[in-house]
Amino acid sequence: MADRGRQYLILADEDLISLVEASDSEAFATLYDRHSRAAFSLAYRMIGDRQAAEDLAQDAFLKVWRGAGSYRVERGSVRTWILSIVHNRGIDQLRSHASRLRTQERVEASAPRSQPSEAFTETWRNSQRDQVREALNTLPAEQLKILELAYFSGYTHVEISELLSLPLGTVKGRMRLGLKKIRNFFESRGATVPR
Amino acid sequence: MSEMNNERFEDLKDAYVLDALPEEERRIFEEFLAAHPERQAEIDELGAVAGLLAFSPEELEPTPELRYRIMEVVEAEAAPRHERRRSVLAGLADFISARGLAFGAAALLLIGLLSWNLLLQDQVDDLQGQVRNAQAPQTQTVQLSGTWANQGADAEVASISGNRIVLVADDLPSIPEGQTCQIWVIKGDVPEPSGLFQPGGTQTAARVTTPIKKGDTIAVTVEPAGGSEQPTTDPVLSAEL
Repeated sequence: MADRGRQYLILADEDLISLVEASDSEAFATLYDRHSRAAFSLAYRMIGDRQAAEDLAQDAFLKVWRGAGSYRVERGSVRTWILSIVHNRGIDQLRSHASRLRTQERVEASAPRSQPSEAFTETWRNSQRDQVREALNTLPAEQLKILELAYFSGYTHVEISELLSLPLGTVKGRMRLGLKKIRNFFESRGATVPR
Repeated sequence: MSEMNNERFEDLKDAYVLDALPEEERRIFEEFLAAHPERQAEIDELGAVAGLLAFSPEELEPTPELRYRIMEVVEAEAAPRHERRRSVLAGLADFISARGLAFGAAALLLIGLLSWNLLLQDQVDDLQGQVRNAQAPQTQTVQLSGTWANQGADAEVASISGNRIVLVADDLPSIPEGQTCQIWVIKGDVPEPSGLFQPGGTQTAARVTTPIKKGDTIAVTVEPAGGSEQPTTDPVLSAEL
């Protein structure tokens, strides 16, 4: 019974990416099916528009297809690599003038959601997601907000400082403390940070 | 812009991994990093922490059209070489019909040479395939039997490269809400919980979390959601390894 589709299904991401590098479209389709939800969700969280988020996800997945050879296992998992491509492309878009205006509106509109208890009320679908959510919920709201403005909305630390009328040193400090707290969350449980 | 040094590196590294440095500052930071590769691991580690934010958004389903659009491009770019060769031959056929029989013999000679070239190319492709197969993970499989197999389910345990064990199955029956399938690796008489999965769609795959060795038995039972510490029902699938 071990048909070709099944063989792909049981391969690890790292095996699939090697096949993608050799222009194997079925291996790519398997990777897409595994990671498209996470990639699209990140794109939507950054861009805030379904069609634009799909365009961003498409752009990112075609980069995966054409650039599979640039994946380096020592730098993290395939999933993390794909999401980093989505993120980098999203940042590029957000930093264009038109997108920035839209993001500004979105940040203002979503300001009340900056409390962790309100911002992370969704049901998470897997244990990694659960852990990340739990880690983020340990952050004070002011630290989480700065991490979100930087990571999802593409603001530089200088822009965040201006946006929130905070000294630049305070913004940097909250970034540092926020990341440290996430790392401590995993280390305190004897776990390594997922990569 | 002050000069980059270790102190400033420390000051900026968190903003760097969050992609929150202005362009000029980022460029200088990366120049410093390139000159101090011993600090790359530290940045990779911090980057992994920042990267966790990517996992946090509410999960949404993209439209099926997105997959279609992407695969259309991918399939076009992955088109087998023989498709391209065939279009070359088709072009030659057009050439022959347009120019008439006077050029036929010459064209046939050209096709002959081209076909010989393609034959050599196919041999190269075959060799590349063999190399690829040799590099591919070695997979061993064992078929599972039981009541679900008798009802038409098709399940096997696959060991990839000897260290990743996956249960894959087609056409598993659905189970009532509030229940889950649980995998057990039975060593002697002791069943060890080895993973949960929900049968879904036509094909299901689940990782077997307990290492297995020859002589162990692998089994699947239907358990209450969340799984059980010990099997509470008879196996619906099993195999001795």
